[in-house]
This record gives sequence, C-alpha cells and structure tokens, in this order.
Amino acid sequence: MGRTAQRTEPVLYNRLAVLRTERGLSRQALAEALDVNYQTIGYLERGEYNPSLELALRAAEYFAVPVDAIFSRKPFTPMSEQLYGGGRG
Amino acid sequence: MARIDGLSQRTRRLIAVASLAGLPAMFGWSSFWIKTSAPGLLWGPVSFALILATALGSFVLYTYVRDRANRNANLDERQRRLRDQAWVLCYEVLSAVVIAAVAVISVMVLGFGRTVTLDGAVVGGLAICVGVLIPLLPVAAMAWVEPNAPLEA
Repeated sequence: MGRTAQRTEPVLYNRLAVLRTERGLSRQALAEALDVNYQTIGYLERGEYNPSLELALRAAEYFAVPVDAIFSRKPFTPMSEQLYGGGRG
Repeated sequence: MARIDGLSQRTRRLIAVASLAGLPAMFGWSSFWIKTSAPGLLWGPVSFALILATALGSFVLYTYVRDRANRNANLDERQRRLRDQAWVLCYEVLSAVVIAAVAVISVMVLGFGRTVTLDGAVVGGLAICVGVLIPLLPVAAMAWVEPNAPLEA
C-alpha cells in the first residue's frame, strides 16, 4: 500500500495497487481508464504523489467503491484482516 | 531512446549542469587561453570537449523531456505540477544568474574602479550563450525536478 514519501506533503495512504491487481489491470490500462500517464499510477501506488480530489473521485468511480476505501490519512488494515478478522489459521 | 527515458534523477541532474555550464565554460576557457601562454594545442580539444558537453547534454535532455516542459503540452495533473515546479526553478536560476552578474560587475566597477568593456567577442559570446541556454533552461529544469520513475508492475 502506498505511502507518501515527500516531506512537504501530508501522508496519504492508498489501496490502488491492491484494487488494480485484484481486477487484473496493468498500470497502463488503469492509466487509460483514469486518463493519466501510466507513470502517474506508479507514483500514486508508491505514495509519492497525492492525487487531486478530482482524480481521487475518478478512481473511486472507476472501482465503484467509496473514495475513503481507496485513500486514507491513516494506514489501511490488510484486506484479509478486514474480511476474516484478526485471528490466525 | 529507452535508455534515455530510464535515466536516474542523479544522472539527469549531472547532465543538466554539464549542458548549461559547457558553453559558458568554453568562452571562459577561450578568454583565459588568450591572456595566458597556454599551449595552442590545448585550446582546440578543451573547447571541443566543453561544446560537446552542451551539445550532447542538450540532445539527451530534449530527448528525455520531449514536450513535457511545453506550456501547451497535453499532460496529466502530476506532470502539470512538475512542469510548474520546473518553470519556477527556471526563473529562480535565471534571477540568480542575473543578480550575480550585476553584483560582480558592480563590485568590479564601483569597488575596484575597473572598467567593463563590451567588445564584439564578449557580446557575441553572450548572445550565443543566451540563445542556446535560455531555451534549454526549462528543459534542464524539468529533467532536474522529475523524480525517478517507478518500477514497472
């Protein structure tokens, strides 16, 4: 999950890589769907670029999930933990 | 071309500095060479190397940046932000160079009472530097500010 590494910007975590992989999309395909350069997807996933509100909303619309399911100011808990709880085995 | 696209930020920054410094350094070297008794054989290769730094560096920078420094290029929001950063850096560098030049001339004239002569060679050299380096500056700034590209998924 991406985390912002730039010192001047607030930290913004995201689940773009998880959602993209889950849907079997390449960065290029997602970039075309969101109308951005494919490298921008890489920077977003690495947390080295914080999207504008408009791009965040476009991503949420594309994945058909609420925007706070993709971007958060706090680290995300792993999907498996959310789905199956914190227990092991 | 793929190798140029994959250049690291550090390499790009070195190339940007070499490209911008090469031509002025060549004129500086020529002025120095005329006033000293340095061997004539030395002038050609050193001058050629310095011009080559600007020529080759410019080629690499223009190939790397393409139209991304252009104000009318079709860019996404991240690229637009980088382009704006590059233009800010560009104006900062330009301002610093102008202020430094005015300061040096002021100190020479007012402080040491020396006269500054603008003959044909000096004006010609300045015109060539301005003509080549001003258009290169936004491209070099763009190559300077762009971070390393993320690895392919």
